[in-house]
Amino acid sequence: MELDELKGQLNQQLLSGFSNKTENKLAELMNGKACSLLCKIKKSILFEITCCIIGIVGALYISLTYQVAQVRIYFAIFGMLFVPLGFVLWYLFRKIVAFENLLLPVKNNLKELIDLLSLFEKRYFQFNMALLPICFFFALALGLQKNASVQEIDKLYIKLKGITSYYWIIIIAYISITMVALVYFTKWYIKKLYGNYINQLKQLLAELKE
Amino acid sequence: MTESEKEFLHQLNEHQKIIHKVCNLYMQFPEDKEDLFQEVTLQAWKAYHKFRGDSKFSTWLYRVALNTAITFFRKDKRTNFIDTVAEIPEKSFSNEKDPVEEQIKAMYMAIGELSKIDKAIIMLYLEDYSYAEISDIIGITANNIAVKMNRIKGKLREATLKKIQTF
Repeated sequence: MELDELKGQLNQQLLSGFSNKTENKLAELMNGKACSLLCKIKKSILFEITCCIIGIVGALYISLTYQVAQVRIYFAIFGMLFVPLGFVLWYLFRKIVAFENLLLPVKNNLKELIDLLSLFEKRYFQFNMALLPICFFFALALGLQKNASVQEIDKLYIKLKGITSYYWIIIIAYISITMVALVYFTKWYIKKLYGNYINQLKQLLAELKE
Repeated sequence: MTESEKEFLHQLNEHQKIIHKVCNLYMQFPEDKEDLFQEVTLQAWKAYHKFRGDSKFSTWLYRVALNTAITFFRKDKRTNFIDTVAEIPEKSFSNEKDPVEEQIKAMYMAIGELSKIDKAIIMLYLEDYSYAEISDIIGITANNIAVKMNRIKGKLREATLKKIQTF
């Protein structure tokens, strides 16, 4: 028997287990706590925007009051970095809200969703990577700053200096390895959060384009 | 409760079978079906203010439900539909071997193994939507829908035969 001959029965079969929900129950569902991935991203963005604002205020305060110049510059740069990040996050938030209000055909919906998530993933990675050189540069600068001396690090510095003249090579190697490790870790982490979902969506879109 | 909410609830109540069918087709476990049902309800409510009545409410609801179901993924690796005969609702089929019932059972299982996109197309086809209407909801041309439908029918024919042999 062909599909067309069984249409009615199959359609009926899809209704198996159906129990009519009352309007009250439906009203409860309307106000429920279900949260799609986009809704979770929206919440996460709002949290990050709040952190950005706190970060800007905190960084501004430290950059104006702390006595060590490097620390002041470090926090000033961090504070400045939070400003564009805040705008990017706000832009993404607005885009998600606009997308949620649209009702597109399946194909366009998939395309928009993939673009949106990819953009979020890209910006998230870029921001994390932008922080790395700043952190390492200032960590190094602070390590060499007399006012910011840390006893244990000083001891290690003297020890290393005594043992080998390749002190700078060790420092550069350490920074490079840690940076590469952090790049891979960040990539892996973002992929774990959104990458697999985006890939599944891309497969569905590819199927529609076949 | 606002007028808009009342109106929406009334419409949803009338057409809740659509959401139930979509949940049955895309999810296997009762708790997943409930989650999807709630998600579709929420998405439909969020988008309701944009519903102008240009199309029928049922068509509009299909679009919301299918968009939600297609982009709805569970983090765990649970399968999304019926894998074995045992998982088909018991009351649906009797124990006696009726060839038509076996055909339906086998085809229903075969539908459950289709991809998410194929499931959406077949669901609308079973509801007697025309290719033009399916094309509006899916977002590809009616010709493409026709081609896909032919392929799906072929897949189902093959899978149904295989399943019947295993019964």
